[in-house]
Amino acid sequence: MNHATRAAKFIGDADRTTWHDETLWFVRTKRDKAVYAVPEFQDLRELASQIKNHTLSKLDFYLEQFEEQAKRNGVHVHWAADADEHNAIILDIIRQHNATRIVKSKSMLTEECHLNPHLIANGIEVVDTDLGERIIQLRDEAPSHLVLPAIHLKKEDVGETFFQHLGTAKGEVDPQVLTEAARQHLRARFLAAEVAISGVNFAVAETGGIVICTNEGNADLGVNLAHVHIGAMGIEKLIPRLSDLSVFTRLLARSATGQPVTTYTSHYTKPADGKEMHIVIVDNGRTKQLGRPDFRASLKCIRCGACMNTCPVYRRSGGHSYDATVPGPIGSILSPNIDMKKHSSLPFASTLCGSCSDVCPVKIDIHTQLYKWRQVLAEANEIPASKKWSMKLMGRFLTSPRALGIGGKLARHGIKFLPYSLTHARHFNVWAVARELPEPPKQSFHEWYQQQEVK
Amino acid sequence: MSSSREKILAAARANKPEETLLPTVPDFGGDASAERFTEVLTGIGGQVIWLDGPEQLQPVLAQLFPESRISASTLFSGTLPVDALTTTEVLADVDLAVLAGEIGVAENGAIWLPEANMMHRALPTITQHLVLVLDHRRIVATMHQAYAQLPSTGGYGAFVAGPSKTADIEQSLVIGAHGARSLVVLLY
Amino acid sequence: MKVALFVPCYVDQFYPQVGIASLQLLEKLGVKAEFPAAQTCCGQPLANSGCERDALPIYRHYVDTFAAYDYVVAPSGSCVYHVRKHFDKLEQTPDVQQVRTSAYDLIDFIYNVLGVKEIPGSFPHRVGLHLSCHGQRGLHQANESEMTPVRDGQLRQLLGSLDGIELTHLDRNDECCGFGGTFCVSEAAISARMGQDRVADHLRNGTSVLTGGDMSCLMHLEGIVRRGKLPMRVMHAAEILNGTIS
Repeated sequence: MNHATRAAKFIGDADRTTWHDETLWFVRTKRDKAVYAVPEFQDLRELASQIKNHTLSKLDFYLEQFEEQAKRNGVHVHWAADADEHNAIILDIIRQHNATRIVKSKSMLTEECHLNPHLIANGIEVVDTDLGERIIQLRDEAPSHLVLPAIHLKKEDVGETFFQHLGTAKGEVDPQVLTEAARQHLRARFLAAEVAISGVNFAVAETGGIVICTNEGNADLGVNLAHVHIGAMGIEKLIPRLSDLSVFTRLLARSATGQPVTTYTSHYTKPADGKEMHIVIVDNGRTKQLGRPDFRASLKCIRCGACMNTCPVYRRSGGHSYDATVPGPIGSILSPNIDMKKHSSLPFASTLCGSCSDVCPVKIDIHTQLYKWRQVLAEANEIPASKKWSMKLMGRFLTSPRALGIGGKLARHGIKFLPYSLTHARHFNVWAVARELPEPPKQSFHEWYQQQEVK
Repeated sequence: MSSSREKILAAARANKPEETLLPTVPDFGGDASAERFTEVLTGIGGQVIWLDGPEQLQPVLAQLFPESRISASTLFSGTLPVDALTTTEVLADVDLAVLAGEIGVAENGAIWLPEANMMHRALPTITQHLVLVLDHRRIVATMHQAYAQLPSTGGYGAFVAGPSKTADIEQSLVIGAHGARSLVVLLY
Repeated sequence: MKVALFVPCYVDQFYPQVGIASLQLLEKLGVKAEFPAAQTCCGQPLANSGCERDALPIYRHYVDTFAAYDYVVAPSGSCVYHVRKHFDKLEQTPDVQQVRTSAYDLIDFIYNVLGVKEIPGSFPHRVGLHLSCHGQRGLHQANESEMTPVRDGQLRQLLGSLDGIELTHLDRNDECCGFGGTFCVSEAAISARMGQDRVADHLRNGTSVLTGGDMSCLMHLEGIVRRGKLPMRVMHAAEILNGTIS
């Protein structure tokens, strides 16, 4: 199944599509308001882009600097080449402590590595503590958005899930009441947790510390109560200096939700006395992406989700239509690096309108990379054969003015003289499912122009 | 030495682009007024109250939190003495934590709270209500100025901007997700 | 000044009146544009489908056809953007460099090269402006809502100078219409829905004439307007401007 098929399924529910589109557009307008209010916002984007570019250009150096500082701070540093190793390291740490009760705050990396199924298969309970993540965990679904993981659900869906799992009243749909129920339910988990797993928003090379940004406070509550903290980070999370955080913290929340900053911007540098802190540094395809000059800029991503909120396709197709850990425009340039065949339709799930690149707080040229992935995919024969051959044929046509003239005339006359039921039949002509074909004119511009010259 | 470490570093070394410059981050200036700070923090669900003097602290708290039973504070002797060794069970009952903030940021209403002022790392989030007391002269305009003033981030520290909140259900804003249900900043 | 008119393939076949209006409008503004008969296409449909390699002969044909002109003007910003941005795949000979800098969207040419900021004439209708993404975000012919709340641009100014015209104010100033070249058939469901939403925004805000500088978006939107039998006319901006100047 490709993106178009899944998107068509989502869009089949017109009202829900409208709601999804409008809800995310609302987030985009909140972002706009926050952005317009900061006169230097475009300068900040440029600075962030340069800082990230620089970091990638000295990535080995900053990784080593970070490791050295973190170790000096009493942090255990682990390296994982791929998802399996990441999962094995975390399971191992948990086992060393004979722990069975684990809380986890938001981490797209652990999603990417499928950590939860791995832990559960090994008899370890892991509870996602971000409200949205917890909702989809109870429903056994994947997140449909980087920042708003349950944005595909309506409050009625959440109400039903909480009725089944948390014992709220049947038909309860008030977000206030449902959130309170989740607070009570998760508080018990926080208090009991032995190990807390978190993601990492930023890793500061010069201090060896990591920074986690949340609105709910779930990372802080989990990490600061549990005996062991495991932070999972991709190698691209590094920034060189503590002061660089000033740039990124000004951009992140404004781009993501239109907030001036997340409620908690927490800096974890050393474990608390008597406690343990681990950091797992993960590659999982990132150094390979670093080696692709056309696509390495995708590693600058800070996971704000702004490109999803602005994407007219994402808003109408839903996050699950991408069938990838990271959906939306940024996911469509990250995912083919991981599995080109599986994700071959994603770079085509775009009109190349460019809005994603324009909202990106670190100035990733997302729409250009979508275009470039299309070239890579076609060269690797990962586009439908029919498309490939029709394009070859078209190439012949379009280098010959004469052939084009004849073909165009045939097309115009075809539309004119063939019965409407045939030219607009949905099976032959996808265009005509929702649109009329143009009214065929008597003559082409070419023909008109020639007549003028004769006159 | 793990082999993955060497593999990752070698791949990063082999695949990285030509070195580019690390830019200097300028101070963009901006409005560092208590008014701006108040306006922004109020906009994100926090509350700002001016204290005329230290003697006002407890009366104001009594007025704001009449039902608070268990409080912890570095600024007065609360009902519960908390330190880094306080157990989770005890912390879980705290209604009110009153702590000293170090730096306020006018552009986003955030307040820097270092570990040294927290009594226990979990206290600011496990408490039902959080009060931060802040010297208004410590308000800066932007995050650039805030980081410039931080000597270090210590073992742990956080910028706290408002009460815990979520919008994960249909984008409806709900205050009081997992952390403190309210944040009051007392300016003096 | 030697100026050529580039009439994109679909305009040639289905919207000759847009080519005619472009030619006449330029003439009224003092520019006699030539129409090289050998022209075909910019190659964008192939390249956007991933088949850039198959498009290279088309690029070369374009270069051969247009290298001798100072300006190549097209009533379609998307094609212009493609020539400027993606002809980087060719060896950068002087001819290739020439066609990449000489390519101009019609409105951009009128506004920036000819320096015409006002058009005399009247058009007493409620006009809705559709900004093409490639014209706006690609060629910077209008401000972007991602950057600024100020809604300004070349076509808005030119149309705004007409007597009696009323430009409608959309809920979403610059959302993509969903045409996207081959996207309109490969992702037909999303494409149609985007177009329907765009048209609905215009309808809701009182547009009776829907216009823009890029005929490809307008072809898609017109298909939706006609399918819905909606009370809205779709015209290329060249048709409006040409019609108002006598």
